[in-house]
Amino acid sequence: MYEAVHAYPDGDATVSRHARTAARHGYDGIVVRTRDALPGIGEAGEGDRYDAGDDGRREADSGDDGRREGDSGGADADEPRGGDAVAIRERYGVDVVDAVEIDADDPGSAGGAVGNYRPDRTVVCVVGGDDRLNRFAVEEPRVDVLVRPTRGGGGFNHVLAKAARDNGVHVEFDFGPVLRATGGQRVRSLAALRKLREIVTYYDAPHVVSANAGSHLELRAPREVVAVGEAAGFDPEWVREGLRAWGGIAERNRERLSEGFIEPGVRRGRYETQR
Amino acid sequence: MKHLPKHLRPHWRYVAVGIETWPDADVSRRGFQRAVWYAAGNLLGDPGSADAGLKLLAFSHADGEGEAILRVRRGHVDDARAAIACVSEVGGDPVGIHVRGISGTVRACEERYMGRAGGDLTQRDVAFADADATAVVRGDAYDVRTGSGDVGATAFDTE
Repeated sequence: MYEAVHAYPDGDATVSRHARTAARHGYDGIVVRTRDALPGIGEAGEGDRYDAGDDGRREADSGDDGRREGDSGGADADEPRGGDAVAIRERYGVDVVDAVEIDADDPGSAGGAVGNYRPDRTVVCVVGGDDRLNRFAVEEPRVDVLVRPTRGGGGFNHVLAKAARDNGVHVEFDFGPVLRATGGQRVRSLAALRKLREIVTYYDAPHVVSANAGSHLELRAPREVVAVGEAAGFDPEWVREGLRAWGGIAERNRERLSEGFIEPGVRRGRYETQR
Repeated sequence: MKHLPKHLRPHWRYVAVGIETWPDADVSRRGFQRAVWYAAGNLLGDPGSADAGLKLLAFSHADGEGEAILRVRRGHVDDARAAIACVSEVGGDPVGIHVRGISGTVRACEERYMGRAGGDLTQRDVAFADADATAVVRGDAYDVRTGSGDVGATAFDTE
């Protein structure tokens, strides 16, 4: 099972600290939603894909480093070391997946960002919370996950659910407010989760579940997330499926971003010569 | 009062819980018990909370790390687990919490799951995010003090 987290500089824990905590909690991997926290799978240049050794990636990072030192915003200064997914994976035994969350103001700029990040990132998420953005995200097959669809008062209906199913866009069930908010805010988010669940399960749209942890202290073990889901009226197996779905997305996209992939069902064979 | 005959006594399960906080957080036993009951009351309602029980039997916390044993009625362990997961802060300090395991006796719970202190704390100056900072270090875990609050890191980020 996988969990999707916000890492430093967006959250209060670095990728490696999240990985360390996730390993203790029994996760198989983490998806890092923060773009600045981890270099993308396709950013390190030709020949340094997922299955390549990490030396090439280190070099590419140090190349980036020189450019970044001039940046005054120290936000992504941590990237070169904190961002080495392969080394973290080896150290803590959990998979680390590079992702990006696109938080745009309108569908137009979100569309541009999706085009930009799709070749570089294993998982591309669009932050919803606005009717037009929700609509955009579920109608764009290049988007993997629509995250936080109801946070900012955004709506979700049968039209979006059908589009999500047809385009294979996963809808996120955000357990963050259930775990951390109190009072009316929590009641509203529980009500939104129930409505979303009824629509999504009826149309069998793909879904993911996450606690939206912003630090290692906010991470909860899979069994705890499942128990909370059960208390909130979810089917436990359905919540487990939602936690596993992150791993499924990562696996599929890594396959697609790998060297040998041509199109679904077609791979570069052993008789193909490298040109 | 005379104690109950064996077949009428409630059956208990003992839940071992690991607690993690920032190093300067002060989590008291009373505050933790209050947070657990508050979370249970909010998530499960008063009847559900009463069913689960969730009485704190043992508690220790120091330097950002702690552990506790909670007593839960048999058959309500999943509800209790959900309530425990909803404890996100104690007295304003954010806490990370996780269920280490469940036993049928206090003794088994203590022997199996308690006493896992992660070593001593040391303070160290580290380079983090291209700046110098102080970090509180326990084993592999580094809690770095930055201008905008604490950041959880590991040896990996600072070496």
